[in-house]
Amino acid sequence: MISSQAKDSIERIFYKAAQARLPMAPGDVCDIVPIKPGSVAGKGAIEARAKDGGATQAGRPQAPTGQVVVLTISGILFRLMLLLHFNEDDSTRDYFVKDDAQSTFGEIVAEISNLCCGAMNQELLRYFPDLGMSTPYMLSAQCVPHLENLKPSYLSSYAIQLGDSVYVAATLCVCAAAPIDFVADVSAVEESSGELELF
Amino acid sequence: MTQSYLVAALMGSVVTAIVAYFLHRFYAAQATTRIRVEAHARTDALAQTQARRTEETGQEEQAKQELESAIVDLRDDLARQIATTDEIRVALKTAVEEKDQWTQQARQIADEASRLKSLAATFERWHEQMISLMTQNQDMHAKNHELSAIVRHVVIVSLNASIEAARAGPAGRGFAVVASEVRELAARSEELSKSYRNSLHRNDLTTTTTFQDIQAGGKMITASLGSVEALANQLQSKLH
Repeated sequence: MISSQAKDSIERIFYKAAQARLPMAPGDVCDIVPIKPGSVAGKGAIEARAKDGGATQAGRPQAPTGQVVVLTISGILFRLMLLLHFNEDDSTRDYFVKDDAQSTFGEIVAEISNLCCGAMNQELLRYFPDLGMSTPYMLSAQCVPHLENLKPSYLSSYAIQLGDSVYVAATLCVCAAAPIDFVADVSAVEESSGELELF
Repeated sequence: MTQSYLVAALMGSVVTAIVAYFLHRFYAAQATTRIRVEAHARTDALAQTQARRTEETGQEEQAKQELESAIVDLRDDLARQIATTDEIRVALKTAVEEKDQWTQQARQIADEASRLKSLAATFERWHEQMISLMTQNQDMHAKNHELSAIVRHVVIVSLNASIEAARAGPAGRGFAVVASEVRELAARSEELSKSYRNSLHRNDLTTTTTFQDIQAGGKMITASLGSVEALANQLQSKLH
């Protein structure tokens, strides 16, 4: 249903959006590693990297616990769901909340997820003129394994390392009603002034 | 003497008269010849003038015929032009009427697209209903959690009952069977509770993704209707 180059394109768009929107400081590390199906989030390459870097095991997202932010981009022939799983540990909280006393951790990660999904939406609009994006919603991480029940045409998970010790898990799920094939060129320079348009 | 003078005078007068007569005749003949020559010259000039006039008249006649022919042609042309102008006028009138109709239709499309954009409110209403459904789901999660805690407690109680039955020896044999049955029921309840929890999580995901799809689809439709409205407005302003 979704061609391999379209899957690669969706992945490239996600990488670009995550690298542009998830790091809180421009110079922060943002390493994204795909998680093979069946493995626990964080296992694999990023786990090795975490060990090498001296990070604790608690730093990795321990699916399926905690909360995930869910967002949907809908087109005429497909819908794409982005699920971002933020650990609510001290390092993650310190990284994202910083000095913001006005907002809760949930509100802040929902906002960041919204920006990330919005960047994907903007990129996808270049290939699919009719798209709309939902507002974010928090769900239990135990819902994530049930994505299989939606009979997705494309399902892929990633472990994202931000800075030295913050780990975020992401899952992309695309349900298509017709064959999808496109090649995304993500080499365009990121526009930094479009944030308000995303809402 | 006097007579001779008179005769001489008479004779002199006669001679003078004869000379005067001849002189008169000579000068008269000269004048006649001169007048005749002048008359000939004038006759020739008049003939030439007459010839030129005749030639000019011919040319004028030809020019007149050409002009008349041109006038006929122009009249025909004018008639044709008038006919064409009438046709064009009719076509223009039809085009103007059609343009007015198109303008009206473009306005109708723009109005309709604008009206349909309020569908977004309907989609938002559906999305808000998700919150209500999810609240119910969370309530069921809490109840299931409570049920799970009770079942775990029952398992412990049944284990204690089994221990007590074993202590009672042969008298507690029947009680041991009951305790075992209770433990069995508790285990089945625990399985059921886990399964129910899974169903609730699945339900959470399905509900959320479905309603988000509705919400995002609504935004997509609203944006598309916005484009249709903008295009219809552009068309309307071009037709004006």
